[in-house]
Amino acid sequence: MAEERESMSPTKIGFGILWPACWTAMVVKAVIAVLLLTMGLVHFEGRFGLAVIMLFISPVTVFAIPIIMALFGAHFGEGIGLEILFWLSIPVDIWALGLVARTFFLERLRKEPPDGLGLAIWWRSALIGAFFVPLLWWIVSFVTDNAITASHSMAEMEAFRHLTDTGLPVAERIGLELTIWGSISSAVLAALSLIGVSILGQIVRRMAEESRPAAGSYQGLITRWDLMRVPADQGLLLTSLAGVGVVCSLMFWTILPVTTPHPHECCKKPDVEAEQVFKPSQSLNSTAQRVASLTAQLDALEQQKSDKKNQKAKSKGKAGGKTTEDSPAKAKP
Amino acid sequence: MDMKHSTPAVIPDHQPSAIEKLVAFLDERVGLKEMQAKMLNEPIPGGSRWAYVFGSILLFIFAMQALTGVLLMFYYVPTADHAYDSTQFIIHDVDYGWFLLSYHFWGSSAMVVCVVAHMSQVFLWGAYKKPRELLWLVGLALFGIVITFGFTGYLLPWDQRAFWATTVGVEILDKTPVVGDFIARFLKGGPTPGQMTLSRFFVLHVMILPAALMALAGLHLFLFRVAAPAGPFTGSKEEIKAKTDYFFPRQIWKDMVGMAFVFAGTCVLALWEPVVLLDQAAPDPGDYHPEPEWYFLFYFQLLRLKIFSGEFGQFLGAVALPVIFMILLVALPFFDKDPERNIFKRPIALISWIAIMVVIVLFTVASVINREFLD
Repeated sequence: MAEERESMSPTKIGFGILWPACWTAMVVKAVIAVLLLTMGLVHFEGRFGLAVIMLFISPVTVFAIPIIMALFGAHFGEGIGLEILFWLSIPVDIWALGLVARTFFLERLRKEPPDGLGLAIWWRSALIGAFFVPLLWWIVSFVTDNAITASHSMAEMEAFRHLTDTGLPVAERIGLELTIWGSISSAVLAALSLIGVSILGQIVRRMAEESRPAAGSYQGLITRWDLMRVPADQGLLLTSLAGVGVVCSLMFWTILPVTTPHPHECCKKPDVEAEQVFKPSQSLNSTAQRVASLTAQLDALEQQKSDKKNQKAKSKGKAGGKTTEDSPAKAKP
Repeated sequence: MDMKHSTPAVIPDHQPSAIEKLVAFLDERVGLKEMQAKMLNEPIPGGSRWAYVFGSILLFIFAMQALTGVLLMFYYVPTADHAYDSTQFIIHDVDYGWFLLSYHFWGSSAMVVCVVAHMSQVFLWGAYKKPRELLWLVGLALFGIVITFGFTGYLLPWDQRAFWATTVGVEILDKTPVVGDFIARFLKGGPTPGQMTLSRFFVLHVMILPAALMALAGLHLFLFRVAAPAGPFTGSKEEIKAKTDYFFPRQIWKDMVGMAFVFAGTCVLALWEPVVLLDQAAPDPGDYHPEPEWYFLFYFQLLRLKIFSGEFGQFLGAVALPVIFMILLVALPFFDKDPERNIFKRPIALISWIAIMVVIVLFTVASVINREFLD
């Protein structure tokens, strides 16, 4: 058992601290992210998944993100809230790393955790991340781009054209290409991530070597380890957490937009003009007036018609003995 | 332990408060303290763990889905004439309606993710083995119910996406031998999806499935308590014994943190991508390329492969493959009788799980890339 502890690989140590610390901090960061999103200060847009991963591993990406953005022009989202989120992540990560590392030192390494362990691990991991993560970004991007090009070329090879009349079907081609470049870039990403975690593990191991061995029986150690995970004053913790929960809930419902915040351009609700309110008496009056005016117009037309008839009859009577040249129809051009 | 002996000594001057009186009143009638002790004092071998939170999280998500679903039902009209308009009304006119609908929508995805995570944890921990076979079987039935929840809920907004996803889904079900035709006719209620389909999907979604889920979840919990937690698959007896703890308070605390995380995560998704509807459902898809919900995309892409074309190919992909997979899952605890639970000493199980996850991820991404070829 003691040998196992001594020979624990740096990768195992680094992973054993970073993985639980990231999850521990992520809960708090998620709550902050909700409030900032509700305020409309953050817009993750299309690269949501990448932004979440960067936030998740913020102990190593907090300084690396501005470098990646400056060097490679990459964007993880928009808005001042994103900067606030990463600044607020710093104390949260220090707390989470401290909590996890203390228990890890005692339970897995059987060493007395030194004071200020969280801060000590955080600044080292952030510093390593500032150099290592942009390098990882560049290598993985380079390898992925080239792997995609290579997989395109492979899929268009003559050998595959013989499989069917028109070459590979679309679904098979996508699957094949994705398998080729996905495997290559995943393998490179995994290898580089392991190297990064291992570097962190080596630093932690060096810190552990300088620490005093933990004294006491196994049961005693476990009791100490267990008590380390809970605060001394549990009542105070519960009360303060309940208070924070209430404040966060009130803030959330106060700032949450009542109507949908950003309807997509493609799917806007069609503007419908409201119909005029139907007023029966007004409608009847207007209809009656209209009928009256139309009746008057009709009467006028009837009158005009009968006048014309009478005029025609009179003119016929007068022109009884006259020649046809005198008729008004002929007289007009 | 005898409960009478564990009762603290009575202080003569102590006057019980109103709450204490109420608790005593209820305890006398329903055995409140005994119930509380049974529920909270469950020993967890090896102590509390984050890996055990998924079951409680699933219960929480279901409760939230029920709550948001009931609130949505106050405005939703399940008729072909009004379903679309009432959903638009919820999104655009009801106070916070957009958020409730978006939370409900993303909550269903969270439920599927957590069910898969829970099943993966049980599989990797070897917690389906004797004496937990029945627990595993009821869990599989619950998985089926969660998937059906997603399928039936997808139609309700009655837009093009809903209509065509359901049409494709029902056509796949139609290919099932013997019962396929009946299931398809029963679900559609006519030659094409219409009012009858909407009514049936609505009843299934808001009445039958919740009742079935509650009953089976109760049975699942009962079987879990009878079989007791499996505990970790590694560690010496001394270590497991030293770390063994009760369900309360540490595991409950972890469960609560997990629930808070899932709640925050679902809120983030609802705020990032609120639900928007496409055009109202119509028998002509127009420019829209029908596709199912994201968690079925891998399967949809799988069915696009040449091997699954033609009548036999379609049967193979749409029916035989999922049925064989489900039969394997059902039979798993009965043919894997090796008591070894350590996943690193069960290479076939580990490789199978990794292969399934890789296929799901690979074909889901492939399906997204495939959209470019359709447009």
